[in-house]
Parts: sequence; C-alpha cells; structure tokens
Amino acid sequence: MIVAARMVRDRRRSTGWWTLGVLALVAFTVALYPSVKDQGEIEDLMRNLPDAFRAMIGYDAAVPLTSPAGYLHARLFSTVGPLLFVVFGIGIGAQAIGGIEESGRLEPMLANPVTRGRVAVERYLAGVALLAGLVVVFAVATFALAAAVDALAGVRTGGLLGACAAVGALAVLHLSLAYAVGAGTGRRGPAVGVAAAVAIGGYLVYSLLSLVEVLAPLRFLTPWYWYLQRNMLAHGVAVAAIVVPLVLSALLFAVGCSLFLRRDLR
Amino acid sequence: MSAPAVRTEGLTKRFGALTAVDALDLAVEHGEVFGYLGPNGAGKTTTIRMLLDFIRPSAGRATVLGGSGADPQVRRRIGYLPADLDVDPRWTAGDLLDFYGALRGGHDATWERTLLDRFELDPTRPVGELSTGNRRKVGIVQAVAHRPPLLILDEPTSGLDPLLQHEFQLLVRELVGDGTTVFLSSHVLPEVEALADRVAILRSGRLVALSTVDELRRSARTRIDLRLNAPATAVDLAVFDGIAEASAADASVHLLVEGSVDPVLKAAARLTVQAITTHEADLEDVFLTYYQPANRPANQSMRGEQR
Repeated sequence: MIVAARMVRDRRRSTGWWTLGVLALVAFTVALYPSVKDQGEIEDLMRNLPDAFRAMIGYDAAVPLTSPAGYLHARLFSTVGPLLFVVFGIGIGAQAIGGIEESGRLEPMLANPVTRGRVAVERYLAGVALLAGLVVVFAVATFALAAAVDALAGVRTGGLLGACAAVGALAVLHLSLAYAVGAGTGRRGPAVGVAAAVAIGGYLVYSLLSLVEVLAPLRFLTPWYWYLQRNMLAHGVAVAAIVVPLVLSALLFAVGCSLFLRRDLR
Repeated sequence: MSAPAVRTEGLTKRFGALTAVDALDLAVEHGEVFGYLGPNGAGKTTTIRMLLDFIRPSAGRATVLGGSGADPQVRRRIGYLPADLDVDPRWTAGDLLDFYGALRGGHDATWERTLLDRFELDPTRPVGELSTGNRRKVGIVQAVAHRPPLLILDEPTSGLDPLLQHEFQLLVRELVGDGTTVFLSSHVLPEVEALADRVAILRSGRLVALSTVDELRRSARTRIDLRLNAPATAVDLAVFDGIAEASAADASVHLLVEGSVDPVLKAAARLTVQAITTHEADLEDVFLTYYQPANRPANQSMRGEQR
C-alpha cells in the first residue's frame, strides 16, 4: 500500500481543510436546532410550499421539521451535506488517475517496480479511504453535537449511522464515476465534468420529476432518489441507499481500471 | 546474459496517420553505452515509452532485460530519467527518494547520501522550489539510486551547466565501469559522443544509421573558416578544388570538409592565412549526411542490422 499511503499523505493538507469545513457545517447546523424546535410556524410555512420545493429540501410530512429527525434530515443530510461529500469525492476521483496522468506525474511513478494495476487499485482505495475518513468525522461530530444540544430525541441511532453511510455511498458513487472517466481518458477535465453533470443532473431530475405525477416513477433512475426518498433518521436504514451505489461504484471502478490497463498513457 | 539488454523487433508506433516509430530493429548489448540520436520529434521518447510499457506498439515488439517493460521485476532493474521529471512540487527530494526507494524495496542509504552530496542537493527542499538544473539533478539521483543494471536516459544533460554535465558524465562512466548498460537518448551530439560506444540515428521514426561513434565522427563534415590577409579570390578557392566545398565572403574562406582535414591544410598552406577557425562537426551536419543518400558512406548503411 505504498502508493496509497503516498496519495493519502499528498492529500493530507487539503483533506484537513475539508475536515474543518465538515465540522463547521455540522456545528452551525446542529447548534441552530434549539432555536428552531419551538417555532411551529415553520411547519405551517412548509405546508404552504410547492411540492417540488419540499421534495428538494427533503421535507417529509410525517416528520415535522421542528423534530430532531426532520431538522437534521432536511438541514444536514439533504442539501449542503451530501453536496460537500460529492464534491470532495469527484475531486479525489478525478485526480486519482486522470489528474496525475495529465500532469505528467504518473509515468515517473510507473517507471518503478509497480504494475499499472497496482497503481490503479491503490489510488482508488486511497481516495475511498480519504472519503470514508471524512464521513466518519461527519458522523462522530453529528452524534456528539446533536447529543450536546439535545437533538437526538426520536432519532434512531441505526438510522443516523445508516444515513451517514448512505451519504458516503452517494459520494463514493460520484468518486468512482470521476475515477472511471479519468482512468479511461487520462484527463482530469472530462472526469470532473461528467461526474459533476451527473451529480447536478441527478439532483435536478430528482426534484423536478417530483413535480410531475406521471414522471415520478422515473425518479428511481437518479442516485439522489435512492438516497433521499426515505428519512432514515426517523424511519431507519434504507439498505438499498447504501448497497446500490456501492455495487455501481465497484462496477465503475472495474470499467475504469480495465480501460486504464489497456490503453496508452497520454 | 544471452538476450540483449534492449531489443526491438519491427517496433512500430502509429498515432493516427503519423508513424512515430517505424519498424525499428535495435539490439543494445549488456555493458555498452548506446547513443540514441535524432532531432526533436524523431521518435526517441516514443521508443523509450514503449520500452517502459507506457504506450503499446502498433506492431513489432520490445524486450528489456529479457522481459517486458511492464514487469515490475524488470522495472526494478531499470533506472529511468525522463526528459522532464514531473513530480508533485510539494515533495522534497527526500520524499521522492523515500517513495521510489520504498517501491523498489529500499535504497542503499550510503549510496543515496553520496549521490545527494555529489550533486549538492538539499533533500529537504521541495522540488517545486528548485531551479531547472537542480530538478534535473534530482532526476539523475533517483535514476541511479537503486544501482540499476540498465539506465534509460532521455536527454539527460539538457538544462545542466557544463560543470554538471561533466559530473554527470563522470558518474555514468563509473557506473558503466561497474557493468551498467546505458540507453542514452539525445539530440545533441557532444553528449552522446562523450559517452557512447555505438550510436543509432533516428529520423522521422526510421533508423537511418547505426554505427560506432568513431565511424560517425569520421563521416561528419567539418567546417573550417580561413581568414586571409586580403579579400578571397576565385584563384584562392580553386586551391581547394576536389578537396572541400569552398565559398568566399570578403576575406574569409568557408570550407566544408568531409573526412580527413589533412589535404585541406596542405592546400591552405599556399594561401596567406591569418587565422583558422574550426567548428566541431555538429549534429545538423551529421544528419545532413544521412538525409542525402549520395553522401551516405557505404560502410555505415547498417540499417536493419541482422543479428
């Protein structure tokens, strides 16, 4: 795991900044809960909003926004939270092969006694490990801070862990897509572009299709639907939201890897 | 040790309509310094990238140290100096050597220290802060740090000042003395001349000559300028008829000499020469020799050499 360890070390500093960002997001979001929980009018406001908008922010009529499960799901797990992890994942996935190859830093490494396959595997795993580390920080911080401000009432512990795992799985999926495009093309730009388009497109499709009754079944095509359809904090783990993205990620990794092994380096 | 250190058989690489390397047959023997010469874009780096399995041949094959350049066991025994060593600019020379050392199963710490001292490198400075020359030195050190039996050097001394070029040449000679094989790619003749035993000349992906450095030197045309005490006349030039190509510009006579300069000097003795300037046969001239079939010495048309 020498190649993976080197990549983790190379990304130490930037991952440190991301960790701070995640901590800040959790801190600001969770710390605001006590000032929200007694405001019943938020609930009235929500009921008057268009369906699409409610779907977009992860509103679930059975779980009031003023309850911990409703608040954390809507404010932390449905908007900025997943976006943060997806962006982190895309950046690291695009860099793993596409970025390092485009910058000309892959060939000197490959002149050493390592196979291309080993570099491909180790750099993928290093990316996933960094992402997993960030998710763990997020989970621990959320638990600790929510407990501190008494924002865990009615939140299922398994569900909260599951939601953290699902946000991680969603990000791993986008990481893997960026990785596969980068490994297939040897370029960073297309890797970021394709993965970002899928992330944004997926999110838009999810929220817009919620508007149109007849098209709603098509929502299952977007990873955001798997992830957001169910408030795991209130209703417990949705296994598919974790397993499906991970299976697809493994497929994307395999495709990217095999393209990388066959082609000429740039 | 029966297989050559580097062997290519009909090695060809096409990029779309462009044939970068065309049916290349080479055999580099163990222990020799093999100069691989050609102008920029001739296909030298493309050849090297095929040797190391960075790119795959369109046709033909290449073996390195009896195996494939994709094999880690083969790569362990190769030291590669790319034309432009690009690593994470935040790495220090020490980081780079530690990382590569770990991949290679460990560097000899004393040898590594010796190399760093010899090239006056500070292993704690980030590579991104180094000058071009110092980055080049880091590249040289990493290429030889594991004492590989085969060195593949792509334009090794470009960007080095003459002192460092000399130091580099000393190092290569020492390593060759210990039995190292060197595949030396370059577009400058002096670099190859100083080190190589045999030279291959590549042009537009094709091998146009394969000979020893001595043969090459003999075939190179030498330029000599004579400054006379008066404007040169047709009579002055006639002295060199059949000996060299001569042209006059004011008081100077420019001579282009093929082979030995002895007849030229003897002929020049009849003139009043104030100063002689000779120009080292440059690669341009050598290439010209091989570009024009009429000028091509018969004893050196060893293209597609049989082994």
